[in-house]
Amino acid sequence: MKKSNPRKMHHRFVVLSLLAGITFIFTACSPTPPSDASSTQLVSKDNNKKKITICLIPKKKGLPYFTSCAEGAEEAAMELGNVELIYDGPTDGSPEKQASMIEQYTLKGVDVIAVSPNDPNVVAPALRKARARGIHVLSWDADAIQDSRDFFVNQATAEAIAHGMVDTMVKDLGGPKTKADVAIVTAYLTAANQNVWIEHMKTHIDQQYPHLNLVAIKPSDEDQKLAFKVTQDLMKAYPDIKGFFGISSVSFPGAAEAVKQAGKTGQVMVTGLATPNSMRSYVEGGTVKSVVLWNTAELGYLTIKVGEALATGKLKQGDTSFDAGKLGKKKIAGDQVLLGDILVFTKDNIHQYDF
Amino acid sequence: MNHTDDTRKTSGWLRMITYLLRHRAIGLFLFIGLLTTVVSWINPAFLSGQNLRDIAVQAAPICIISCGVMLVLVAGEIDISVGSMMGVLAASMGIMVSASRAQLPPHVAIALTLLIGIGMGLFNGLLVAYVGVPSIIVTLGMLTALRGLTEIIMNGAWITDLPDEIRFLGTGTILSIPLSLWTTACVLAVTIWLIHRTPIGRRIYATGSNPQAAQLAGLSIKSIKLFVFAWTGLLTAVATLVSVPQLSVVDSGIGIGTELLVVTCVVVGGTSVNGGVGTLSGVLCGVALMTMISTVLIFLKLGEHATYWSRAIQGLFILGAILADHWISNHKK
Repeated sequence: MKKSNPRKMHHRFVVLSLLAGITFIFTACSPTPPSDASSTQLVSKDNNKKKITICLIPKKKGLPYFTSCAEGAEEAAMELGNVELIYDGPTDGSPEKQASMIEQYTLKGVDVIAVSPNDPNVVAPALRKARARGIHVLSWDADAIQDSRDFFVNQATAEAIAHGMVDTMVKDLGGPKTKADVAIVTAYLTAANQNVWIEHMKTHIDQQYPHLNLVAIKPSDEDQKLAFKVTQDLMKAYPDIKGFFGISSVSFPGAAEAVKQAGKTGQVMVTGLATPNSMRSYVEGGTVKSVVLWNTAELGYLTIKVGEALATGKLKQGDTSFDAGKLGKKKIAGDQVLLGDILVFTKDNIHQYDF
Repeated sequence: MNHTDDTRKTSGWLRMITYLLRHRAIGLFLFIGLLTTVVSWINPAFLSGQNLRDIAVQAAPICIISCGVMLVLVAGEIDISVGSMMGVLAASMGIMVSASRAQLPPHVAIALTLLIGIGMGLFNGLLVAYVGVPSIIVTLGMLTALRGLTEIIMNGAWITDLPDEIRFLGTGTILSIPLSLWTTACVLAVTIWLIHRTPIGRRIYATGSNPQAAQLAGLSIKSIKLFVFAWTGLLTAVATLVSVPQLSVVDSGIGIGTELLVVTCVVVGGTSVNGGVGTLSGVLCGVALMTMISTVLIFLKLGEHATYWSRAIQGLFILGAILADHWISNHKK
């Protein structure tokens, strides 16, 4: 900070403009180059065939959810033998950093880019540029804008996930006859996945469960503390709330902790999407009855299989099924390769999973 | 609250600023009062003991860190690395105590966490004071570097098994008052003592308001700057210890955005980014305002339709508070 004349210190606008400056620096903060030590290179041993480099980009690196996907991806790469897997993504979930990473990997000349976009609109130009240079582009976990990718590897249809969460909540609350206020704690308000799920959840509630009343949707900005805080506040502001949906792996444990600390275990239900390890203590303690997710390792595995098939010409637009190795035949609906159905973790089966 | 002690021998303009400072928090204070009145009229549950207690607990870590960052700003520097420092501290504390990792006894882990905090603060301070790199650049770099370090420490996994002794720091109470509030009270007391009763406090203000004069008066500007950064590091560690164990899961995103929130609280509270000016009462009002605003919005029960514009309202409230404060200060002259 440059020092200015102390006599001018009472000029508040200087303060304000500097504050604005700081904000600007934050938002314009340059992205981490993907080539440094923080990118994990998982190289397979077999070198006979032509190497296919697949770059797998998660929404945010360091989330166990994506780490478990990457483990499945690594397994597929090992099995295929001709795939070099790069797993790299922004550490803060920023769509802008994701876009610039895509551009840098495009320049590096990889064969396939598979991305789970934080914001489909922000990454679309970078993805189109990659496609123009002959790189095969996949979206996985969350969809990109349709013309910016070849295929979307979809864990389960948005409808299945949304209906799964609402049905689970209704069941946990004691059946469709129970009158209850519910609220959703989401990730970012711009998160494409969450927004599509929310739309389907709303329609499903309207059509099937007239006794369920959605009173609020609050973003947690992928910050557990904020999820904790809004859940705490919502319980006090709406004393009739009986259920919370934590629809991201960060907002779910935050919401569950708030309900537990308020001593409302058993009175207020929490359900949502998260990895089993982070929810284990709540499921065992009774605050959470069911955790909804899909098999994450299989999602990573399928993504790499699809990427390799696309790069070697085994998979083309118009195909209606795909042979996914150990997963068997998978259905292709239009330009979406479907992994399958949701998984519900409860007290009875959560001990079988460790991720 | 003021710092008139160090301005006895100063000229007229400084005395005038000091006078304004003494009443710096009034505008914010009135705005907070107005906001509270309106929201509790709409929804009386806002004034319930439980809610006020929750707000205080949420404000605690921000308040603790602000006590450090305010002094950094008063000394004419800035620290925007505290969010990532929190990340590193939470991750290393988690690794140290986790039953499936290092399994250190809790008191050893607490001591080490405080030391790591001081260490990171000292590192910032050394680069700023002794190497001479502008603090915005040093701490901006640290913001990115330390977030990366957090990722390395966590290695893609979260810590989900904090022992009960550590959870107690975040959820426990003494005489039915949360531990984090006791800690905040202690930090505030020490900061007040530091500002008003020690030469260090006076020197920090002197350094920020006129570094050349301070240097000529024989003050070691370098060691003062080193001190404020180390102090911020220590307080960030303290805040981490009482706030992170409130949650059962230590994730790699802990602390993201805290640096901006803290700087906003401190600046909204009237601390000058040019150095030399800042009061603890103003900062406290800033923290109170920034913490209560999102709660206020939920208590206004705007409903599901307000999902997308509630953030804009939040911004308007902050702007309103600053303008009210600005207007009142202008009319005092």
